[in-house]
Amino acid sequence: MSYIEIQCGDVLASVIFIIEGEFDQLPQRSAIENHISTCLPCTAEIEHERAMHDLLQETLRRSCNERAPEDLHQAIHRQLRAQMAAGTEVVTQFSMTEISIEIDEFGNIEHREIQIEQTHIQHFIDEDPDATR
Amino acid sequence: MTSKDLVLESAADRTIRFERDALAFTDQLYAAALRYTKNPEDARDLVQDTYLKAFTSFHQFEEGTNLRAWLYRVLTTTFINSYRKGQRQPQIAQNELEDWQVAQAQSHTSDLGKSAEVEALENLPDSDIKRALQEIPEDFRMVVYLADVEGFSYKEIAEIVGVPAGTVMSRLSRGRKQLREKLAGYAKELGYNTDAKKKSGEVK
Repeated sequence: MSYIEIQCGDVLASVIFIIEGEFDQLPQRSAIENHISTCLPCTAEIEHERAMHDLLQETLRRSCNERAPEDLHQAIHRQLRAQMAAGTEVVTQFSMTEISIEIDEFGNIEHREIQIEQTHIQHFIDEDPDATR
Repeated sequence: MTSKDLVLESAADRTIRFERDALAFTDQLYAAALRYTKNPEDARDLVQDTYLKAFTSFHQFEEGTNLRAWLYRVLTTTFINSYRKGQRQPQIAQNELEDWQVAQAQSHTSDLGKSAEVEALENLPDSDIKRALQEIPEDFRMVVYLADVEGFSYKEIAEIVGVPAGTVMSRLSRGRKQLREKLAGYAKELGYNTDAKKKSGEVK
């Protein structure tokens, strides 16, 4: 039986896994959980980290909420329509696999034939002059 | 047999389905593109390129899987392959995996340090938050953005960015830490401050 002593530093180094709820990824999980359950400063630190993480997320979400300019929506729509008109899908070849084996009365193979054919679908896409900025 | 499964969707039907499902994310992708490229012109181009690529490879997208994550993947790979080549960015060193734990706090923070940090985050204007995000290395910025703004799990981010999950964790941890340090620095400049407060607190 080996007892692994966990230092506060070990817990703090793993704090991201705790915050992310990824306990399974924690190295020395049970030792760390034991340490946390008895160490007040670590418990407080984890609480702080969690609160800061939530606050950081909230702050980032509040700040990064730009909307695309209206003309970008329109440009994308036009681009897709042009692409659709330019691109055509055509089945150029269509076939099946056939295997036939002929066996004589002595069990010898007299003739075999394997035919494998494929379905080819070609996408014809023309370069859209508007697509490249 | 397989040929029977090949139900061909007409180009028009596919376009309609794509517009209905994928274009709902234009605003989100644009905001992400702004963070990636750091300027509105490139962000526009990146979003347009992303949609064009996504559209032409839409038949590869498995219906029922996460369309939003797929679009972010197209956005991110397009950015990595085409846009960042032109920009000079210090890339992260190879040894990031070995030493990432060092980046973590190794000792407990003081209560004063904690409250100053909270105050900074609550009071800084949006422009400062974005500036801080722009100043951290690109590889960190992408994962922090994907995790903390978009709410992707680190496993999804690994798929989107194309790196192992462990690397995502490492970048996330370091990126958040750098971001918080930058924000604390700005707060200091603005006078919401840690040291000044600490001192006056102690004196009085």
